[in-house]
Amino acid sequence: MRAWLLVFFLALGVWAQEGPASPPPDLPPEVFAIARELRCPVCQGESAAESNSGVAVEMRRIIAEMLQEGKTKDEIKAFFVDRYGEWILYEPPKRGVTLWVWVLPVLGLALLGMGLFAYFRPKKPLPPELLEEAERRLKEPPA
Amino acid sequence: MTPALLGNLGVSLALAFSLLGLALALLAYSQGDGRFLKGAKALVLPAFLAALVAFLALEWALLTHDFSLAYVARNHSTQDPLWVTLVTPWAALEGSILLWGLLQTLYTLLASRRALDPWRASLVLAVLFGVQVFFFGVMATIASPFETLPNPPMDGAGPNPLLQNHWMMAVHPVLMYLGFVGLSVPFAYAVAAMAVRRYQTWVGETRWWTLIAWGFLTAGKVAGMWWSYEVLGWGGYWAWDPVENASFIPWLLATAFLHTAIVQEARGAFKAWNFAFVTLAFAATVLGTFLTRSGVIQSVHAFAEGPVGPAFLGFFLLATGLGLGLLSRVSREVRDPVAFRLLSREGALLLGAFFFAGWALVVVLGTFYPLLAEAFTGAKVSVGAPFFNQVSAPLGVGILLLMGVGPILPWRRPRAEVFRNLYLLLAVLLVGTLLGLLRGYTVGASLALGLFLYNTAAIFLLVREGVLARLRAGLSPWGFLGNRRRVGSLLAHFAVALMGLGIAFSQAYRLEAEKTLYRGQAWEAGGVRMEFLGVRALDEGRRFAVEALLRTDRFGEVRPRLHFYPQMNAPLPAPKVLYTPGNDYYFLLMDFDREKGGWASVRLIVTPLVFWMWVAGGLLALATLYILWPAGRPEELKGVSPA
Repeated sequence: MRAWLLVFFLALGVWAQEGPASPPPDLPPEVFAIARELRCPVCQGESAAESNSGVAVEMRRIIAEMLQEGKTKDEIKAFFVDRYGEWILYEPPKRGVTLWVWVLPVLGLALLGMGLFAYFRPKKPLPPELLEEAERRLKEPPA
Repeated sequence: MTPALLGNLGVSLALAFSLLGLALALLAYSQGDGRFLKGAKALVLPAFLAALVAFLALEWALLTHDFSLAYVARNHSTQDPLWVTLVTPWAALEGSILLWGLLQTLYTLLASRRALDPWRASLVLAVLFGVQVFFFGVMATIASPFETLPNPPMDGAGPNPLLQNHWMMAVHPVLMYLGFVGLSVPFAYAVAAMAVRRYQTWVGETRWWTLIAWGFLTAGKVAGMWWSYEVLGWGGYWAWDPVENASFIPWLLATAFLHTAIVQEARGAFKAWNFAFVTLAFAATVLGTFLTRSGVIQSVHAFAEGPVGPAFLGFFLLATGLGLGLLSRVSREVRDPVAFRLLSREGALLLGAFFFAGWALVVVLGTFYPLLAEAFTGAKVSVGAPFFNQVSAPLGVGILLLMGVGPILPWRRPRAEVFRNLYLLLAVLLVGTLLGLLRGYTVGASLALGLFLYNTAAIFLLVREGVLARLRAGLSPWGFLGNRRRVGSLLAHFAVALMGLGIAFSQAYRLEAEKTLYRGQAWEAGGVRMEFLGVRALDEGRRFAVEALLRTDRFGEVRPRLHFYPQMNAPLPAPKVLYTPGNDYYFLLMDFDREKGGWASVRLIVTPLVFWMWVAGGLLALATLYILWPAGRPEELKGVSPA
């Protein structure tokens, strides 16, 4: 067992640069609430709250520090937008190129709703002249 | 004979049989000659056997560590445990296409056993053979699972460690594929019905097939959610990842069809919707595969990328074009002649279908938006969970509302006594929501509580009505259980209401915190007190594990782990989840002192009611099984249906 542990900790050398020199800081729940709305820039579609990549770990540390300095959520998000652009936000801002992602669903649903309304609207009866015409033809002897 | 040779033979034969079958089925339709149909039917079993041979050849190659196959070299290692080796065929692109193809031939085999008039039978076969031609064509050309290497390595890297970490990985992809592939049969029925212009009989038969596919899809999704929760180490079950979305879209459309199909069965209306939903549900499975496999999007599922994107995009366009093209040809004939009342069962069912279709639309828009924005403006944008959660919440609420009212409402128009029930239900909804608000829950969570009680009350009213009617008629009250479709659908509705409750509470009240603990130090968070006792290293052959020993006041000793795989440069967290009916306690080891083991960084995630989501998932599967159990089959399926 002892030998194995030695081998193991030697093998850990490979990952040693992965681990930080000092223990990670404490992260209160507010950190995760903010990190969940930020994209981890190097990951495959994970937020900064979920990912364990170095960048995401660093982002959580920065968020914790900024919170301790008394910065608000919006200020913290703005800090990351300055660095990475709006792409870092998982909630697309409701202006510019991402306005449409908010507008389109509403438009689409409104269209569907209108279709639905048309579907349920009682069908208008046939115009009287058409009905008379039909009745007249019924009474006529077949040619 | 080598596995490569046998596999290539299997794929080529399956392709040849499918091509021949397609040609014969089309001839049978155009010539109206039963002999061609017989010939096409005779090719169904050989195609399945050839696909089975190819699949077994891949298993053979994996079991014998035949690294001369590129697929084996990339995704297998001699270190893999047996069960991992056995499920490696679906650990990457080529193998999963082979599994898909095999399941397609299996569905074709089952579908060809169903009695149908010769016209529709030939078209159903033609469509299914056509799908097979696509899959085996892809395998024979651009994504062969049996490609060989000139210089085989001595050992491979093994499958992605994320896939080895949980037994659910053996189950989840197969369930998903059974669901995806299963939707090809309803599509084939729809194409046949539109082509021969018989719009009524197909719907009952198709509903049965769709329910099978839907059941697998639902089970596959819940299994995937559980895998994500237990393995990915983020304490969540749904991330609105593009690949999750891609499989959610066909599920939504299939659900819409299952509901509008009832109206056509009972009242002959909504024909056009049914054709559209079935076509789009199948097309969405292909589109989803395009998204997953083409690498056009960033996703945690990106381990199965490959060169097949354009092929799947083309196939998607072909399938959509075929279905919608036929629908536009017959659109005048399938138009509904009468107006509907909103306050009737058919009204509620159609409105519900609109919610499902609208939700599918929203998910499509959000998923594709980053792609489109980048293509047209060059801007990189992210559309993530906060967006999807906000747009989904009102749709989900709408669906939960309709789910309670719909089954209470009679067809055509409500009678006076129905209103009494409706008012009662609304009162339950109101009281439940107020109760939540008074207890200090968020608006969303209170509404979810109200909706859960409201739906439970609706089910109670329906069961009571059914039992009372039987007692009045002098029948055994238990005979109610014999109405499998009714009982199954009520059970499924209850499961959905329960899941809604779980989603609302787990989203609103998730607590997540992280702390670095020194040996002997204690931490109290989320109602648990834990003391860090130290770390321990374990050698497990193909990986190293490091455990943090935490002594908790409620659960005894808890040991979250980090797994170190030689093929990964970062460790994978292996969470320790303690399920309780109230809260789930999710312990994660994030980091530890590599020199002396003096400290460990621990994350605790406390999420309420997640337990009930897995219960709801199980109930959904049970409900589907209950409806599908042989006695639940519609009568007309047992013989040739009248036109």
